[in-house]
Amino acid sequence: MSGILDAIIKIITWPPLWQLVVLGLLVPLGVVIFILWFERKTAARVQRRIGPYHVSPKIAGGLQLIADLMRYMFQEVIIPKTVDKFPFIVAPLAALILSIVPVVAIPFTSIKAYFPIDMSYSLIISLALLTLSPLFIILSGWASNNKFSIIGGMREAYLITAYELVAVLAFLSAGAITGSFNLVDIVEAQSGVKWFIILNPLAFAAAFIGVLLSTSGFPFEIAESEHEVVAGAFTEYSGLVYGMNMGAAYLKRMIFSIMITVVFLGGWQPYTPGEGFIAGYLVPSIVILVKATILMMIFSFFRAVYGRYRLDQALDIAWKILFPLAVLGFGLGLLEAYLGII
Amino acid sequence: MPAKPVNKQVPSKGGIFSKFKGNIEAIAIGVKFFFNPQRFTLIYPKEYIKLKEGYRGFIVLRKDKCINCGSCARICPAAAMRLIRLPFTDPKTGKTRMKLWPVINYNRCIFCGYCVDVCPTEALYHVPYHDVVYETMDIMDLDLEMFQKEPEWDTEKLGLPVKYVVDEKMGLIKVKIKEEGEKQ
Repeated sequence: MSGILDAIIKIITWPPLWQLVVLGLLVPLGVVIFILWFERKTAARVQRRIGPYHVSPKIAGGLQLIADLMRYMFQEVIIPKTVDKFPFIVAPLAALILSIVPVVAIPFTSIKAYFPIDMSYSLIISLALLTLSPLFIILSGWASNNKFSIIGGMREAYLITAYELVAVLAFLSAGAITGSFNLVDIVEAQSGVKWFIILNPLAFAAAFIGVLLSTSGFPFEIAESEHEVVAGAFTEYSGLVYGMNMGAAYLKRMIFSIMITVVFLGGWQPYTPGEGFIAGYLVPSIVILVKATILMMIFSFFRAVYGRYRLDQALDIAWKILFPLAVLGFGLGLLEAYLGII
Repeated sequence: MPAKPVNKQVPSKGGIFSKFKGNIEAIAIGVKFFFNPQRFTLIYPKEYIKLKEGYRGFIVLRKDKCINCGSCARICPAAAMRLIRLPFTDPKTGKTRMKLWPVINYNRCIFCGYCVDVCPTEALYHVPYHDVVYETMDIMDLDLEMFQKEPEWDTEKLGLPVKYVVDEKMGLIKVKIKEEGEKQ
């Protein structure tokens, strides 16, 4: 009996499975449900409303999101006759999976036994995987065969050109400081208070706004704006598939938050991974996830403060302000490497 | 000849630093409200707005003041008020004869208050509330007995009275009304 139990524990804690399923899917899903509730509640507080309330008044409407999830799960999935069926169904699935997959390249600890895949170019690989999923949003807009969806998809395409360069340059500035593309080296270079948010705030600002742009965070919720293009690429979706589309953006933002935590906020840094599964893998990953959750809360706070930008305004910000900011951040990183601050 | 299109541009005010400052101010206001929320949503069954006397709510008849003139039924723009013929015993003479009494149909009433205004003896009056629920549409067509009672107001039993006042700093704010005993 204990042998079976040991085997099950061994399978569950096998690093690739643990990292992809638990750290990549289950924990971010829980965080996303919390963040959706937090976002609605924060917007209500700032705008002098109450927000979700009537489902469970004692815990401030916390069960409202569970109710919404149940509603999405039991809603009928309607596939219109005019759509291209195969890409219509496959595109949101692919977008969701490609939002999660970058987790395998992100290290949650410095001990080699707990890496899913040991690689020395993890920064570049995780960035490359993160920038794949918007292509499938364009595909789902194209497959929907609907004018709103195509407009939404085209907006997404415009935004990709705007944010991808900014986000990638901002993240690569960490590589410029440390001279390494290995995320473990990047985290270990940030020992003490030498977090890259302090050493290189320009790159952090560019990465922060770039992530908001890429995951259609609220001031830049342009591709799927409800009022203008009726949820953009997702007009024809309903039920669980629509929920998956919406969830994919939040999951992607969570993975991006983990990336920002690892690259700019010191990863597991106040804590030093020790021996064993709990001290060496569980605790550092909890440190990273807590930091990423706080970052997500700051992201969702912006929804309450800002109105939505127009497409041309967002492109203006991306090309005229963020791109020079990202280049300056990269230069600052090179300068710090030259001066030998690390 | 069609109008010629002219390319006009609105000159942008201030440089990049003034925009930065504006963003910081917006976020500061957001943070201020996040930590000190001044909510004014009315949680309806638990709170209700206490309306003043003279509000045109539900209408009640004082039968002893009614002189059976029928003005209320004649002026009613929605034809909600109608007259029914019922026997009436005069307490002085002891004679019984048929008289016309007003009854109201709340399916039709628009709460304009003309009937209350036109009544020569003030036999009709408003109650200062409007959130009354009837179970069926038939009950909403009141008979003479029902018309003389003030309708039951469950909101008063369930909730606390509040009112909205204009504050100089915050704009509109919600204030709880203290009962008369608490004031002293």
